[in-house]
Amino acid sequence: MATDGKRYFRQQVWVTWIFLAALLACGCWELHLDFAYVAQKLPFLLGVRRAPDGFLQGAALTLFVTAVACVFALGVALVTAMGRLSRNPIAFAFATFYASLFRGTPLLVQVLIIYLALPQLGIVLGALTSGLLALSLNYGAYLAETIRSGVMAVPAVQREAALALGLSPWVTTSRVVAPQALRLIIPPAGALVVSMLKDSSLVSIMGLWELNFLAQSYARTSFHYMEMLLAAALIYWVLSIVFEIVQARLERRFGRGVALLAKG
Amino acid sequence: MCGETLHCDEIFVTDMSNNVGMRAVHLMLLLVCCCTSAQAGATLDRVTRKGVVTDVLIDTYPPFAFIDADNQLAGFDVDVARAFAAKLGVKLVLDTPSWDTIVTGHWQGRWDICICSMTPTDERARVLDFPVQYYSSPAVLVVHRDEPHIKTIADISGKRVGVGLGSSYENYLNHSLVIRGAPPPPAPFQDVIAIPGDETVNFRNLALGPGVRLDAIIASLSTAKAATAAMPALKVVGPILFAESNAVATEKGDPEWNATVVRIFAALRADGTLAKISQHWLGLDVTADGH
Repeated sequence: MATDGKRYFRQQVWVTWIFLAALLACGCWELHLDFAYVAQKLPFLLGVRRAPDGFLQGAALTLFVTAVACVFALGVALVTAMGRLSRNPIAFAFATFYASLFRGTPLLVQVLIIYLALPQLGIVLGALTSGLLALSLNYGAYLAETIRSGVMAVPAVQREAALALGLSPWVTTSRVVAPQALRLIIPPAGALVVSMLKDSSLVSIMGLWELNFLAQSYARTSFHYMEMLLAAALIYWVLSIVFEIVQARLERRFGRGVALLAKG
Repeated sequence: MCGETLHCDEIFVTDMSNNVGMRAVHLMLLLVCCCTSAQAGATLDRVTRKGVVTDVLIDTYPPFAFIDADNQLAGFDVDVARAFAAKLGVKLVLDTPSWDTIVTGHWQGRWDICICSMTPTDERARVLDFPVQYYSSPAVLVVHRDEPHIKTIADISGKRVGVGLGSSYENYLNHSLVIRGAPPPPAPFQDVIAIPGDETVNFRNLALGPGVRLDAIIASLSTAKAATAAMPALKVVGPILFAESNAVATEKGDPEWNATVVRIFAALRADGTLAKISQHWLGLDVTADGH
């Protein structure tokens, strides 16, 4: 009975999704868009070909920026979260100060400070470096809070019980606390990755030929605004959906324990 | 770090984390290299040493610079830059950051030259050098075809007028335009609401109808002609507002580089290259009276 109900629910979800997607597609069709123009620009928007300077462009550059910034952000976030959870007042102060500063200022302002203001001090970073730095520092601050809250949400008795059983602190952390914390960290962390994918469009102001830059440039010079902006939006959306699917899988993986408990 | 994020397959995990770590280190090194390669120094030294000239321009300023059907930068400014680099005997690199990052100066060696249709205003001359004026295109007033009231520049008082963000036209509307070596242009209007933005976006907004988002636009005759050709809803009205020269900009304080730029442009003018490029993109020679 329960599985029937579940299957019904899933069917209904799919039907409604397909209906809404069809509605959206019809709406776009009614706009009488110049699909030939979209087809002509699509390979460039997707970035299957290199930019004139030989580097990545379009969605490929967007993905590259997001991936690299994610790795750096994770590193920054782990260090910051440790500082945040530390009993050392200096480490705690550093971590909270950094997180507050980068969460309390707009990403665009951070990008501009790093790219435009730092040269005033003689520090001249390239466009790509500036973009990666800004994204990593900004998202590192958010991710640190996510990690911290996940670790804090694991009941203290879990750690106490593990230690009482004679498990080493490392095993307690890696095998008892981390798996339980990750279950709570993954959904908001996945949301941050999707969010970063879209925020990577901010680096276009420095002249990086990523997805948003190309879409706007083509749109402005050819006046095909609707075509180019919708195409860019659709590519971002598809990429986000892929990320969300990965996140859902990870969620299921780390939710196994709780799912088993619920089944009794 | 990665080790504590997974609770099984530990050997595999450790392996992965090492890999990721190594890659991160490599990338970090790569980035550090990128950072340190840009050092302050005389522009001419840098160009000669690297054999590369980095020109900065706007990718949304047709027909002067735009991304063409083959996804290459093309246009008048791009061809002039190519001719410049070829004459100098160095490789050309083009960069396309936003306009306000260019005009605010302090390039700190990021770019060597801006062949980007810049008007040499007094304000900009504080942060940039203008060794050469390479073409001139007068400023004009553009309105919607159905515009009932605006016939001349005097009619724009109290109206919303679109101009390029950080452009000389923005200064003109604010009565603060001083072109080097020229008297201030007549500006017989008050309380104009200047709407700074991307020029091509402005044209698009004006085409929505008179007064919908904009009442008028001030732009150069060359870009106005390209826009009115693409959008028949727009038209140029009234006489020319002021003659405007467009200059090559360089980072402040390298007289030898500026002298080189002057020499190369004199050669490009003398052998007819500039005139040819102008004819190709604009259908007329706008480079004749620049000097």
